[in-house]
Order: sequence, then C-alpha cells, then structure tokens
Amino acid sequence: MTNNSSKQAPILAARALCKSYDDGRIEALRGVDLSIQAGEFVAISGPSGSGKSTLLQLIGGLDSPTSGEVLFQDALLGANVDLDTYRSRHVGFIFQGFYLMPTLRAIENVQVPMLAVKSEAKERAARAESLLIEMGLESRMRQYPNELSGGERQRVAIARALANNPSILLADEPTGNLDSVNSARIMEMLIGIQESRGMTLIVVTHENEIANAAPRHIRIRDGRVEP
Amino acid sequence: MAIGAFVALVGFSRSFEHEWLEVYESGGTDIAVIQKTFFNTSVDESVGAKLRALPDIARATPMILNMMEITPEITALTYGWKADSYELDSLTFKSGRRFRDGQAEVILGDLLAANLNKTAGDSLAIQGSKFTVTGVYHGASALEASALILPLDQLQQIADLQGKVSAFHVRLRPVPAGETPQHFLESAQAQIQSALPDLSAVPAAERASNNQLVLMAHAAAWGTSGIALLIGILGIANTMAMSVFERTREIGILRALGWRRWKVLLLIQTEAAALGFAGGVFGIFFGWGGLRILSKLPQTASIVSAAFPPVLLIEALGVAVLAGLLAGAFPAWRGAHLSPVEALRHD
Repeated sequence: MTNNSSKQAPILAARALCKSYDDGRIEALRGVDLSIQAGEFVAISGPSGSGKSTLLQLIGGLDSPTSGEVLFQDALLGANVDLDTYRSRHVGFIFQGFYLMPTLRAIENVQVPMLAVKSEAKERAARAESLLIEMGLESRMRQYPNELSGGERQRVAIARALANNPSILLADEPTGNLDSVNSARIMEMLIGIQESRGMTLIVVTHENEIANAAPRHIRIRDGRVEP
Repeated sequence: MAIGAFVALVGFSRSFEHEWLEVYESGGTDIAVIQKTFFNTSVDESVGAKLRALPDIARATPMILNMMEITPEITALTYGWKADSYELDSLTFKSGRRFRDGQAEVILGDLLAANLNKTAGDSLAIQGSKFTVTGVYHGASALEASALILPLDQLQQIADLQGKVSAFHVRLRPVPAGETPQHFLESAQAQIQSALPDLSAVPAAERASNNQLVLMAHAAAWGTSGIALLIGILGIANTMAMSVFERTREIGILRALGWRRWKVLLLIQTEAAALGFAGGVFGIFFGWGGLRILSKLPQTASIVSAAFPPVLLIEALGVAVLAGLLAGAFPAWRGAHLSPVEALRHD
C-alpha cells in the first residue's frame, strides 16, 4: 500500500513549517518538512515541549504557521482550502481532554460537527446513533459527559470525530487521560477504524508503546523532525 | 426591569394621550380653536360669534381648561363650560343635575367625587369660594371622570379671566353628500383659519395627540425608559460577556469542529435575543402591574388607565429583543473571533 500510495500526491504535506510565539521569543517549530500519504497511520512522538502538538494543530488547520505551508491534497491550507471547511469536512479531531460539550448528551455531542455542514436533523440523529453503536455505547447515548467514564467519553469523542466522515483522523494524546485497559481499547479502536475505513490516522503521543505500534513513526525534538 | 420601566412609562404616556382623545371624541368635538401654544392659550370670548357665522360650523362652544388644587392632596383637571355646551350632552349623570350659568354650582366626575367623598347636594370649596355639587357624572375617559366642571363665568371669575377662554370647541355640520369627512374637515379648518388668522384650528385628534402636555409625557417616558434601557443593555451585555468568557472552551470546540465564525456569532446572538425576549416578557408583566397600580392611585388615576394596547406589547418585545441583540453584539463578535487553539487552552 505504501509503495502504491507513494506514487500519488500526499494527502498532507508540510514545507519548512515554523511556528513561534511571544514575538518570536519561543520557537515551537523550526522548519518541519513532512509528507503523509492517504491511508497511513503515523505516530508523532517527542518529549514535552518538543512541538508535536503544535505540529498537529497546524496540520489540523486549528492554527496558522508563522512561516511555511501546509498542503492538503496539494492545496494550500488557508489560501486554496478554507480552514473552517477543512476542519469540518476533511479532519476529525480527538483530544486528550475529550472536549465534549458538558450540557449536551452523548448523541447530541456527536451531532455537533454535523451542524457545521448542511444536514437534516433525522439524518444527523441516525448517523450519531450508528456511530455510537459502533463505539459500543448503545446504552449510553442519552448520558451527559459527566455521567460517562473516561474511556466512554473518549469513545464519544471518536464518534464525534467520525461524524462528517473525514479522510484524516488527528489524535492528540488520545490515551493521556486513560488507564492502561482503556488506553489499549481506544488504540485498538482507532487502528480498527483506520484499517476498515482506509483513513489517514495521525496520533501524537509520548508513549513509546503507541508510537511503536504505528507503521511510521516521526520523532520531534526542539521543533525539528529527527532524522 | 428596563422593559418594565419602558412598558409602564410609555404605557402611561400612551394612555394619557388616549384619555385626551376620548375627551374630544366623546364630546363630539371636531376642531379646537386655540392660540398657537397650549399653555398660555387665551382666546377672546367674542370670537364665538365669528365662528358661529361660518357656514360649516354647527356649534362653537367656549371652554376653559385648568388645573386646580381642590384639597392639599388632590389637584384636579377643571373645566369651565357654558350650561348649554353640547359637550355636556355626552355626560351620563349618576346623580343630580347639570349646573346653571351664573350660579356657584359644580358637577364632579365619579372618580373625583369618590376621592373627595362628595355627592350631589354637598358643598365644595374651590379657591376659597363655596360651590354646590349639583351632580355627579360618569366620564367617558379617566380624565373626565377625575375632573370637575363649573359654569364658564364662575371659572372666569375665580381665575380672573373675564372675557377670555382657553379654546373654542367646534362641532361641524353633517358631512355633505359626495364629500369625504377628511376633506370636509380640512375645508372647515381652512374656513376658520381664513376668518381668524391669529388663531389655530386644530383637528380634535391632532389636538389630543399633539398637545404639549402629551408631547411632554411622551418625551419624558421615552427619555426615562431610554436610560432604563441603556442600563438594561449594559446588564445583558455583562451577562453575555460573562457567558462567553465562561464558555470560551466550548466556543473553541465549536470552532475546532469547523463551525464558521458567523455561526458562532449567530449562536451567541440568538441566546442574547432570547435573553432579551424573556426579560421583555417579565418586564411586560411588571410594567402592566405598575400601570394597574398607577390607575388605582388617587394621585394618578385621572391620567392613567390600565388599558394595554397590543401595539405596546409588540413594541416592548421588539425593544427587548433589540436590546438583547445590541448587548450581545460585542460578546458575540469577541466569541466568534477567538482562535480555536487559544479557546481550547482556556480553563
């Protein structure tokens, strides 16, 4: 698959990507180049403060680089591809802190991204229900986030990330707030989704076990990709 | 509270205007002939003969309008009418009879009679002179019901206005066939203006809504409620700013999930409008309650009725929603322009 896909244009590419904060006093990324093919499972690891989350934010269109560029299917993010459209249609996010809406039930949380694109209410409810069933949460759909365990919350967040059927899943320390049993289950789920749907999965982690499970492992240190 | 103040104050000024209109309509007056201004209008009584000579005028009756302190607590609207004034025909007497010209007699509106605890046959001191209450009438409006009416000559004497009146109230002849009431009114107005160029001939409806007392009441009501609304807007703005601040992370989640800025703005503005609407509904109840209380108090009963025009309800809700939108504008703009990354970092 890697050989075939390498002939195609990468789904994501970063060129000389830099990001600095505080008027340039803090350099989070210092010229990152990378290319990710459609359907790849890539782990990005590195010590705290290495810039791995910043990289994920930039390739996820959550933030804009100080210099350099991010390309999605050869189109420049922020110029040729609108960031809102990119985030709503092409990318699904999974965060360490789950980031569910506390006032919405699980099934409503899954529908939130669908409200960003044109969709019928019935269609939204049916898709959210089907995704939650796929995540093994059929009996927890009507619960609020504070009534769910950490593992369940992250499964709701995965269902939400899949709501608009994106081509890329970005997970920032998805198991960071979970025990080992739930961590293993969430990773199993993510890999299963990536394989069954042929999605591109990019996971930021500091756990070697997760990083080593990925066919491709990118290490970041001091804002640079390690050779 | 701001909408409550708006409803109470604007309702008060509207009902004040409405009461004036009732006075003219129930009396059957078509045109009031006055000087150019309301307060110091002083028309020579001899003008009556010229008015009565005009072809379209059926009746022209002189009148004085004044405010008089009857007791230290009660100041009442006081009319001076001729005993043969057509306006007396519109009053329904609950007891007693009309007054006679040249006699120290007075008739009282039922609301005033109740407040003064007077009935027909009682005596009443007005500005140091003793008058006999000859009758108690039911007024068509709260203004009339809280007024007293004395013979014109008696009021001229008390007020030292011999030979002068406040206005002439004019009733026109029936509208001739083939002519519209509006055109007939305008033509009569022109006739009066031409015969008496120093005076104003004002249609009754305009006189009711456009006299200086009503204009002052409107200005005071809008001015005061404007200040109350401004305070209300600041209150809602504060609530919305707090709400946006407290939900910064949630806004970040929405933006991260691809919600466009305008959608976030719409969400916050919808909430602000709903807050304004809810405040408006509560305010209408408070304001209506305030109007009801004012309409019962002896000091204000003469100029306030608890009638609640539907247009005021629509205006109050409109103003409340607009206040919500104005108040929510800045917090919504701020929320919509948050960077998703910064918003997600917010604790």
